[in-house]
Amino acid sequence: MAQRTPLMPPLLHMTRLRSASRPILRLIAALTGGFALLLLTGCSKLHQVFSLSGPQSTMVTAGPVASRQWDLFMVTVWVCTFIFIVVGSVLAYAQIKFRAKTEADEHAAPPAEAGHGNPFVEIGLIAGSVILLVFIAIPTVRDIWYTHDVPEDEKAGAIEVTATGYQWWFKFDYPSELVKLPNGGEAPLSTGNELVVPANTAVRVQLRTVDVIHSFWIPKLAGKVDMMPNRGNFLWFKADKPGYYYGQCAEYCGESHAIMKFRVIALSAADYIKWLDNQKLSARTVTAQSLAADAAITHVRFASLKDTGPNSTLAGSPDFDADPFAAWKKMQDHDAGENAALITAGRKNFSDKTCITCHTVRGHEGIGIAGPELTHVGARSSIAAGVLENTPERLHQWIKDPAYFKPGNKMYHGGYIDVATGQPKFTLSDSEIDTLVAYLHSLK
Amino acid sequence: MAQAIAKSDYTGAAHAPTKPTFGLFARPTAKTGLVGWLTTVDHKKIGMLYGGFAILFFLVGGIEALMIRTQLIVPNNRFVSAQLYNELFTMHGTTMIFLAVMPLNAAFFNLLIPIQVGARDVAFPRLNSFSLWVWVVGAILLNVGWISHFVPAWDFGGAPDVGWFGYSPLTSKQFTPDLSTDFWVLGIQLLGLSSIVASLNFIVTIINMRAPGLTMMRLPVFTWMALVTSFLLVLALPAIAIALVEVMFDRNFGTNFFEVSGGGQPILWQHLFWVFGHPEVYILILPPMGYVSEILPTFSRKPLFGYPIVVFSGVAIGFIGFGVWSHHMFTTGLGTIATAAFALATMAIAVPTGVKVFNWIGTLWGGRIVTRVPMMFALGFIWMFMMGGFTGIMHSAAPADAQQQDSYFVIAHFHYVLIGGATFALLAAIHFWFPKFFGRMVPEFWGKVSFWLIFVGFNATFFPMHFLGLNGMPRRTWTYDANMGWNEGNLFATIGAYLLGVGIFTYFAVLVWSFFKGKPAGNDPWDARTLEWSIPSPPPEHNFASIPKVHARDAWWYEKTHQDEIASEKAELMKAEEAHGGIHMPDQSWYPLFAAAGLLIGAYNFAQLKHPVLILGNQVLSSHLPLALAGLGILVLACYLWSLEGPGGYHIHLDAKGNATESRGGYHH
Repeated sequence: MAQRTPLMPPLLHMTRLRSASRPILRLIAALTGGFALLLLTGCSKLHQVFSLSGPQSTMVTAGPVASRQWDLFMVTVWVCTFIFIVVGSVLAYAQIKFRAKTEADEHAAPPAEAGHGNPFVEIGLIAGSVILLVFIAIPTVRDIWYTHDVPEDEKAGAIEVTATGYQWWFKFDYPSELVKLPNGGEAPLSTGNELVVPANTAVRVQLRTVDVIHSFWIPKLAGKVDMMPNRGNFLWFKADKPGYYYGQCAEYCGESHAIMKFRVIALSAADYIKWLDNQKLSARTVTAQSLAADAAITHVRFASLKDTGPNSTLAGSPDFDADPFAAWKKMQDHDAGENAALITAGRKNFSDKTCITCHTVRGHEGIGIAGPELTHVGARSSIAAGVLENTPERLHQWIKDPAYFKPGNKMYHGGYIDVATGQPKFTLSDSEIDTLVAYLHSLK
Repeated sequence: MAQAIAKSDYTGAAHAPTKPTFGLFARPTAKTGLVGWLTTVDHKKIGMLYGGFAILFFLVGGIEALMIRTQLIVPNNRFVSAQLYNELFTMHGTTMIFLAVMPLNAAFFNLLIPIQVGARDVAFPRLNSFSLWVWVVGAILLNVGWISHFVPAWDFGGAPDVGWFGYSPLTSKQFTPDLSTDFWVLGIQLLGLSSIVASLNFIVTIINMRAPGLTMMRLPVFTWMALVTSFLLVLALPAIAIALVEVMFDRNFGTNFFEVSGGGQPILWQHLFWVFGHPEVYILILPPMGYVSEILPTFSRKPLFGYPIVVFSGVAIGFIGFGVWSHHMFTTGLGTIATAAFALATMAIAVPTGVKVFNWIGTLWGGRIVTRVPMMFALGFIWMFMMGGFTGIMHSAAPADAQQQDSYFVIAHFHYVLIGGATFALLAAIHFWFPKFFGRMVPEFWGKVSFWLIFVGFNATFFPMHFLGLNGMPRRTWTYDANMGWNEGNLFATIGAYLLGVGIFTYFAVLVWSFFKGKPAGNDPWDARTLEWSIPSPPPEHNFASIPKVHARDAWWYEKTHQDEIASEKAELMKAEEAHGGIHMPDQSWYPLFAAAGLLIGAYNFAQLKHPVLILGNQVLSSHLPLALAGLGILVLACYLWSLEGPGGYHIHLDAKGNATESRGGYHH
């Protein structure tokens, strides 16, 4: 190999940083590092940055599908961690060991026989990579089949429900649970935004949509499957024990996608039967006489979500978040202090303000199907597709200004406002809303 | 006509503008000024225009990102509306992919490929100019909707809000009735056209215009990756072009490709989109792998380890990249067999990707690692790309992906690949080649400051997002509730994003300063290895005084180590070149620009075909059809005149001192 004679002084412009600027560089490095440390330690809630314990955690699972998915994820994490330690160590070692330490060092040519490549090293590394990937591939393939459908031995005891996505809420139907309609016919039991299922039972969810693509995701119970138009998708999950689980639409579906949520409430077998029996009843009608007959029950004022944003108008209490399942159970009882006159006025307003054209209240006037079924809305813990907790204050706010909480929703655009003209269809005073709230909360 | 061409060519004296044989405009000869830039066919100027526009859009996309992060800094925030947020994330994705990273890569293709293959321009210089201006037209159409937020009378419904992936049926007229989606469809379509045209140009340039001795296995790795990328573009873009035409017809002419009510299949869109969209990922990352494969050897002061393996793994990535698209669709109900097949194919593609990392480390091994700013970004690339690669492997485990898909975990994954990977490599490349094309050095000190700001800011932004995703936070989420355990992670990420923003601002502010005040660079400031470092900085219009003869990989390194042999060879090559008429250069032309202008007028009006034309609220035409046809007419006329103006061209003659004189006419005597 010919001796290398540079055309010009090598690295003419690459002389090391002038000594004067090095302290400044150190200062900047220290400031940047300090900023990073400030973020890391100054923030008292730092561990929260890396928290995996939220209500939609994929780590703190509550059923076999989600825990299989997490276990598989951890297999990938361990394999990747192993590769990272090996490759990262070699890279770090090379960076430190072969770093040019002095200016002369920078200009020196590396040894003539410096590596151009080594077939044995290359093939060895390729083979090693393939072997490591096999560790991931085997459980992956196994779990693809396991998570796909209810296992054979659980099929007999499984229940089937249909979840239908709407912009921007979820409808849940129970095809095998039929309810009597006032006209004498029968229809599957239908509810909205809160799916109640028995615990310890495989649930097969048929996934449908009436408009765009949505995705059905309850992180603690099962990974998501999309609700695709013209496709019969489904998923299955099983809740190991009774509880209250958060779910959310996971496919971008338009303006209010971010706030299209739902809940899954898993009940013990006995509670589930009780719940079904109540749901199959027609809407509750409250009169002064019926109220007198009801035993006084503690009024549940459980928390709304903690709305700490700048536009927050109500502070939430932590009771709900502490035990949403208990809060949901209390919601099944009648409210204390029900006012029959107010409720009756609310029922009339529900008709007068055209609510009935979109919402069904089985046994009462409501017959519409464009919006969620409200026959037992008073017994739900959330409203507006999981955006707000079902307190009287929140329900009042929601009815007063649905467009604020859920931009683009059809209750406002089309329900309150004539879309063609942009004119409001009716007026709604605060006292009228109070009657609607009383009525809807009486629908236990 | 043939006679006429010949005649006019011979009438031109030196320096006189060539008269067109037929047409409205004399061929422009201005090398500087507005006319010079608008009509240029010089690959270096076109590259700089691509780069300048791309950096502009990179900053626009960055501002969109900072608005997104500001909205998410606290729960239940109302900094922007849901509608505006959806526009912001749609345009952030679309902008960063189509208007920032792709054109920055196109800029380097233009700047580097002809020089690295030892040529004086691309194969089709006017077509190259056409690609640039069509790209500009696409960028305008994509962004035109923003005007609705400032001038409500121009009611396009705001910027596009269907996501960069535009999943049907959300793109149906029923769900997005406003014009923003039509502009999105046409804008992406034209960007695709621009990329196909440019790619064909680069493929021909790389295969046909290599200097003597430059065999394929001597090509610089960057040019190799550019070749693979160009093939990917040519093969992948038709899929989305077809899908976009189908959406356009569904929206405007009543077809039922994706219309659910007409029996259409929205899933078809996803297949067509990802058959393009997954190769697109490699279109974004292969050129950056090329930059890094040039920068690492230069600053390790030894050749790339395992050159053939790096090249073949790049080709393998491109090839397998066409067979993994459905891993973007694991949650769409593919069924067990298809899911398993795509999961395993996805794992397979990790192998050639890993091989590249091994070879980069092999390049460092035993070298003299000189930690200049481009090297710092290149080393940062290896680390960050590795992180993004690991989360990619995690996604290939389909059942686990059911939890991660469309969550913040995915956002973390692909930002590690596209910022930590592609962008770090691009920032390395800009710093590395800036002295070559502007003749000035970027100060090391400020480069290092920006590197550390970007490195810390980037990780502070995106590392917590892994945890947000695993904690159940979905993507494309305008706001979130305070009780989900996401508050601190989002606050942390937003602070990190501001730091990243400061770092990016510093980086480009230093470039602007260097453009005016940087120290002169000289030909070869980094003691580099490929042909572009053998010519002056900035390179002359004709690149090479004589087309070089290539004797080895790392052609310039060989020349530096065999100076006597090369000097006598160069003298003979120059003599031979002058003997057959001097250096032949292509003529500038107005027509690529005019053709693109016709496309702009046509597409802008075609998008709103059925809407009346309003001027100050008064209807002047009942539809945009006449204006759309006018645009089409300009396009057809420009192409017609373009073909009639002939290839043109002139000669440059260099004297012994390297001074250039030009002559026109009389080539091929």
